Amino acid sequence: MQRASKAARDKLKAAMNRLARGDKAALEDVYRATSAKLFGICLRILGDEKEAEDALQDVYLTLWQRADRYDPERASPIAWLATFARNRAIDRLRTGKVRGAAVPEDKAAAVPDGSPLTDAMLIDAEREARVHSCLEELDETPRDAIRSAFFEGRTYAELAERQDVPLGTMKSWIRRGLAKLKACMEAGE
Amino acid sequence: MSEDKRPDSILAAEYALGLLEGQELLAARAREASDGAFAAEVAQWQDRLAPLADDIDPRIPREEVWARIEAAVGEDAGTAEVVVLRRKVRRWQWIGGVSAAAAVALAVFALPMRQAPDGSSGNIDSGPALTQPPLAANMPIEGTPLRLDVTYLPDAHALLVTAVGLSDDGVHDHEIWLVPDEGELISLGVVTPGKVTAHEVPIEVAPRIRGGSQLLLTREPLGGKPPQDEAGPVVAEARFAAI
Repeated sequence: MQRASKAARDKLKAAMNRLARGDKAALEDVYRATSAKLFGICLRILGDEKEAEDALQDVYLTLWQRADRYDPERASPIAWLATFARNRAIDRLRTGKVRGAAVPEDKAAAVPDGSPLTDAMLIDAEREARVHSCLEELDETPRDAIRSAFFEGRTYAELAERQDVPLGTMKSWIRRGLAKLKACMEAGE
Repeated sequence: MSEDKRPDSILAAEYALGLLEGQELLAARAREASDGAFAAEVAQWQDRLAPLADDIDPRIPREEVWARIEAAVGEDAGTAEVVVLRRKVRRWQWIGGVSAAAAVALAVFALPMRQAPDGSSGNIDSGPALTQPPLAANMPIEGTPLRLDVTYLPDAHALLVTAVGLSDDGVHDHEIWLVPDEGELISLGVVTPGKVTAHEVPIEVAPRIRGGSQLLLTREPLGGKPPQDEAGPVVAEARFAAI
């Protein structure tokens, strides 16, 4: 089991606080600590290195301009940044500029195993977040659909087309899955 | 349509996951911005789902991506001032009562930097708190889902203009105008698309801005209204209100 380094998290939190106060040097610290994780997310969703680079640039520039939106009370900084990057990448997909072909990416340099980056910035320090086990409890179809939505940014319409089912059918499968997921998550919250 | 009736918590999950598109997406986005309870549900789903991203392998971006970011931040000279001004607005919101609109803004801005765990003071002093209430105006731009947020800080003689969703069409600029109680329109500056910028308000203009003052947004050639021409078409309007 990989454990997130608490020191790395605390360092990131401090850098985010400095950033929120307008300290430019903090942006580079945040970038060095998190860009591999966020680039991985953008690349997975956009499936194109050039697009993922543009999305990444957009993420850190927006972060610089709106750093005070981060609330340390709510989420760990890496969880918040990951959500932020994912949302920006999905916005990009939805503007229609990208074809949205999330494909396996192999050109970008992989982070070598055992590098500090691979374990220092895990969102779920213990890899035991409830969402993993709760998702496992769902039937295969809704589970796969929810995973495709999360990892590839697929819409209802795309998921229905891929499974060759009517849109309404896909919606009700996923909604039932989400309701079940919610009940399972709440049982542990 | 009955199939599209679902509890808010499920709508929030669909939105957080990114399943929605078109009208439904715009409607959910607008609700997130205006309905604090819904925004909180969305945030909760985002937090629940975030650990899934640990299954995505990190990838190292090319070094030139950082170089581009650094260059863009270097050009963005107004930003440090923006950060200071925004903190003043927030402090005001905490001191004064919190209106419904401000409560939404707070849900977004939250309370991140009242203290810094690392104890350092940063390189920018936030300065004294405001003594006069800031005024805010929200300008929906006709025919688009976009809005321009304008906040006036009397003590700082500054106007904070948030145009983050706007993009540059390469042909037009937008100019903000104050409609004074009497006399000609007064320009409050040209909007910088995609950015939050601080505009200085000249000392002689400041007394003419008050709660209820009307603002107009016009479409102009690049660089703003040419001195010899009439102002361009009005694309948005709003009035200042205390926050």
